[in-house]
Amino acid sequence: MSFDVGYTTADGRTIGGVLMEMKNITLRFGGVTAIKNISLDIREGEIRAIIGPNGAGKTSMLNVINGFYHPQEGEIIFRGEHRKRMRPYQAAKQGISRTFQNVALFSGMTTLDNIMAGRQLKMHKNFLWQMLRYGPALNEEIEHRRKVEEIIDFLEIQAIRKTPVGSLPYGLQKRVELARALAAEPSLLLLDEPMAGMNVEEKEDMSRFILDVNDEFGTTIALIEHDMGVVMDLADRVVVLDYGKKIADGTPNEVQKNQDVIDAYLGVA
Amino acid sequence: MDFLYSLFVGPFVDMFSTPDFLLQVLWEGFVTGTLYSLIALGFVLIFKASGVFNFAQGIMVVFSALTLVGLYQAGVPAYLALLLAVGVMALLAIGVERLVLRHMVNQPDIILFMATIGLSYFLIGLGEFIFGGETKSMITEQLGLPTGSTTFAPFGGVLILQHIDIAAVVIAAVLVAGLAFFFSKTRIGRALRAVADDHQAALSVGISLNQIWAIVWFAAGIVALATGIMWGARSDVSFALQIVALKALPVLILGGFTSIPGAIVGGLIIGFGEKLFEVYWGGLLGGGVEGWFAYVIALIFLLFRPQGLFGDKIIERV
Amino acid sequence: MRVRVGVSQQGCLATLRWRSGGNILTSRIAPTGGLDSIPKLLARNAREFGDRPASREKEFGIWQSWTWAEVAEEVNALAMGLLALGLNANDHVAIIGRNRPALYWSMVSIQSCGAVPVPIYQDSVAEEMAYVLDHCSARFVIAEDQEQVDKVLEVQERLPALEQIIYYDKRGMRKYDHTAMNAYRDVQEEGRAGHYRLEPILQERLKSVNYDSTCVMLYTSGTTGRPKGVVLSNRNIIEASRTSAEFDHLNAGDSVLAYLPMAWVGDFIFSIGQCYWTGFCVSCPESPETMQEDLREIGPSYFFAPPRFFEGLLTAVMIRMEDAGPMKRRMFSYFMAHAKKVGGRLLDGKPVSLIDRLKYALGNILVYGPLRNRLGMSRVRVGYTAGEAIGPEIFEFYRSLGINLKQLYGQTEASVYITVQPDGEVRPDTVGVPAPGVEIRIGETGEVFYRSAGTFVEYYKNPESTKSTKDPEGWVATGDAGFFDEETGHLKIIDRAKDVGKMADGSLFAPKYVENKLKFYANILEAVLFGAETDKCTAFINIDMSSVGNWAERNNIGYSSYQELAGHPKVLDAIQAHVEEVNASLANDPMLNGCQIHRFLILHKELDADDGEMTRTRKVRRRIIDEKYADLIAALADGSTEISTTTEVTYEDGRKGSISATLEIRDAKVFPRRAEAA
Repeated sequence: MSFDVGYTTADGRTIGGVLMEMKNITLRFGGVTAIKNISLDIREGEIRAIIGPNGAGKTSMLNVINGFYHPQEGEIIFRGEHRKRMRPYQAAKQGISRTFQNVALFSGMTTLDNIMAGRQLKMHKNFLWQMLRYGPALNEEIEHRRKVEEIIDFLEIQAIRKTPVGSLPYGLQKRVELARALAAEPSLLLLDEPMAGMNVEEKEDMSRFILDVNDEFGTTIALIEHDMGVVMDLADRVVVLDYGKKIADGTPNEVQKNQDVIDAYLGVA
Repeated sequence: MDFLYSLFVGPFVDMFSTPDFLLQVLWEGFVTGTLYSLIALGFVLIFKASGVFNFAQGIMVVFSALTLVGLYQAGVPAYLALLLAVGVMALLAIGVERLVLRHMVNQPDIILFMATIGLSYFLIGLGEFIFGGETKSMITEQLGLPTGSTTFAPFGGVLILQHIDIAAVVIAAVLVAGLAFFFSKTRIGRALRAVADDHQAALSVGISLNQIWAIVWFAAGIVALATGIMWGARSDVSFALQIVALKALPVLILGGFTSIPGAIVGGLIIGFGEKLFEVYWGGLLGGGVEGWFAYVIALIFLLFRPQGLFGDKIIERV
Repeated sequence: MRVRVGVSQQGCLATLRWRSGGNILTSRIAPTGGLDSIPKLLARNAREFGDRPASREKEFGIWQSWTWAEVAEEVNALAMGLLALGLNANDHVAIIGRNRPALYWSMVSIQSCGAVPVPIYQDSVAEEMAYVLDHCSARFVIAEDQEQVDKVLEVQERLPALEQIIYYDKRGMRKYDHTAMNAYRDVQEEGRAGHYRLEPILQERLKSVNYDSTCVMLYTSGTTGRPKGVVLSNRNIIEASRTSAEFDHLNAGDSVLAYLPMAWVGDFIFSIGQCYWTGFCVSCPESPETMQEDLREIGPSYFFAPPRFFEGLLTAVMIRMEDAGPMKRRMFSYFMAHAKKVGGRLLDGKPVSLIDRLKYALGNILVYGPLRNRLGMSRVRVGYTAGEAIGPEIFEFYRSLGINLKQLYGQTEASVYITVQPDGEVRPDTVGVPAPGVEIRIGETGEVFYRSAGTFVEYYKNPESTKSTKDPEGWVATGDAGFFDEETGHLKIIDRAKDVGKMADGSLFAPKYVENKLKFYANILEAVLFGAETDKCTAFINIDMSSVGNWAERNNIGYSSYQELAGHPKVLDAIQAHVEEVNASLANDPMLNGCQIHRFLILHKELDADDGEMTRTRKVRRRIIDEKYADLIAALADGSTEISTTTEVTYEDGRKGSISATLEIRDAKVFPRRAEAA
């Protein structure tokens, strides 16, 4: 498979070249090796899933991508450039947004403020202007608000616009978190178990939103998910981890038939 | 019987028989309270943004005031010295972030607390090394701050307001309003609140913790400088001032560690309370009440309302 | 075809209130000024109120609005686009979605093309949707979004007539096969582009639309059987809208919030009929969940909601007050007590003392005003509720706050209006006087019949049902039994007509009405009334174990079972008091005073679904009870004071057993008819 030529998905979307490539990544915490020599690529416009049993190193993988962890070995190439050791806010600056497994929201703020905070990096005007609420800063604020309102409409959370997020039910908190990640207009969106702890209906909604984000904005998405059914429906390509090692990589169909995968899943089940 | 009288009746009789004196006491309490509030504010800013209880805040008050006076004595014009003192506080903030906080990310709170104790001894040493240990007096007039006083005659009595006290109250009010606006209406303010709520999430939306920490320490430094000038003008500038800075602790317990309004209200309560108690009940206990009154109040609060008046109630769904 | 132009009889019809029994022929009213269809009303509005807002919708957190001139342009563009797609005159076009201006406009576009809009309940499952779409042979469907399109596609195979799907919200639609699918705005663009070619065709179609052509077809969600398509003509809709707008003085300055299903006749009358007739502005909520907040922001002057809405809102207010501080709570209960005393009277313009007026004014500043604002009803001038009985307490709560809430009684077949409550004559237990232009007749069996200009044309493709509902003279059977209260002249609805019988002397026997009155007492869980075709009514009572048990404990009355408690003389005394109170109130009802309970007994067991005595939804199965307790019913009728009986019961684990008991039968006091007593 050539690196710069894309492929066509089952539902007819055209996937572009490689957006991010991780080569031979190894991550250790003290004596424990969380990720062992893993390589994987994420292509422009695709929905890429990372699956595996508990403790397989999935979240560690996301944390490496957005700079929370720094691998001891291996290299990361993002948009064709070798990435140096990078802090999370620098990763965000490069267009990598994420959500968290256990919802990390600014719980004292309203939904609106949370999403506005997601646009942190898009705001440039001097804080003195902002304090005066005048001139360019005012226009900038209005422009950001418009963008945020589009996201609110997209994720159908108009009714909770002014509710402090700490008092929202879990399913909605997850949606607000997705909204905040989208507010940065990311080129790569990382979703850590977006459907954890949701009921069937909420899962369906969330699946629809993920597909719509990918479809409407062309956002590349890498997601971790436990629910195999969901992954098979959503993902274009799936990488399977087990005990920090990669055991399979391919389309959902290919992965499903892989004997190692079946063993790993039966092993935990 | 006499004892009960002097506890429950006498003080109130005094208050109402000489209302002008009561006003004088209240005013003194108000000014002290304002300054307590400012010191507490410095603590709250840093605690909110980084969860660190900054033991060095008191020393920062002394250090900033010393720097200002020291520069002036070295021949720098007063206003330039003020500007340079602000610059020194900025350098201090960046230095603390670079050399201390950055290396202690994800360490337990107690370690960070110890670090600030270290910082305070470092600042004491540095201050004495550069400016000497002797007591200095504040360059009040040179900075254009008013001196002198105005006398009023309410209820046919006397009420004297020191101009420097009025200035202190006005400057404190402006400072607090400015900070409140900055933190509620600007991008950096939103970022600060975000950091206070959830570090990881703040990082993920592209907020640089290091930048926010530096900004917050700088803001705390400015507050310390303002406090130092005002307090210094009322007494003088020496390392003994840091004892006063410790009063911030009961203020924080009263107001809650994370609440800016709490710091203000807490400061005022302690200010009013200890002056009133000292003047009207102090004699009963042999004087010197001002020294410990605040801590007793704090102790009572710890027993009955540990989160303080305005502390965060944790609202979370499971 | 031109409509016969007659003498305007507006004036006399508006004041006509027909009480009963009459047989006046419906006056055929011709439209004034040629305003004989919704598209023509639109043209007039665009001409006369061109700059006034016609539609509003909150989008991206901001209220967007369209003037009448802009709406006319949007409607015409879509109409021409539909013509370009090949829409024929008299085609049916289904509209599926929540309340949105574009969907309302599309109905008028469809009418402009000489076709018939058929709004469908957006929450119907695919199965129901398939039936309706197939029944009306819809060629075109206008769907709001992907969700609705998916539902239509799911049943597409069963819809041979379906040709085109037009969707409004483009989101998620890019991947769909577009050979027979278009976006709403693209259709409009097509119409605008083909303006020169299509405009003459549209004008031609518009000419064929007249007062008797179909305005809309609405499917009634019947409780039994398949839904029926009610065909309503322009005459029906415009006359109903005109007379009701005059009745409540609605005008172009009013404003409403459209949030009830578009497929419901009420919404069609409010958001299209009255809106186009008067020219007022209709606002649509941002989403169903934000309705309450949008209501507050819009502050409508004319508002409709079903009783459960008012009930839910009141509960929410009460919960908020529970959480409020003691000061606020005390103020609230103090002023609400005052409002209860004088609020309703003030609203009805009845005399109130100056002191009470001042106190109410103070309450208005402190409590009522802020509360009305919170409820989104600060500006409500006319509010209606209908559909089911509203609890008198709830109803009076809103009225005491100064909100002019009224009741009406209506049907899809009547273009809503049968009876309404005029201002100043509002009562919680009636549905009002005949609406302007409506004649009402009470049939032999007590069934309510009406006839009006709003009376529907027919049930689509269902001549039998049409015939059995509407007689050749135009009288329509409502299926409800009711009577006119002699004192107020207001109609009271008793029950479904099929459940109402006759006593031996020919007076009405309305079991559910009486049973409901009994069940109003906390001590009475169930009641079954007997007496059809006899002289005297009798009743079985089931006591409420928790309520009566509680009372027994407080009064040191020991008991070990339902049966023991039910047979206790003091319990019988208490129930007898309740029965006699009900009798006293029935005596005041001239139609129902024959239903007073002469004798009753308390059953020795609770009626139970496991024994087949009730349905799982707790409705009494009368036939089974008639058989099973024949001995008890006979004893009630023959005057004996005691009866021993054995009844089979099914225990929870499915085993069967039997219980025996000797039951005391009590005589209750009955009251003479008030008219006779006077």
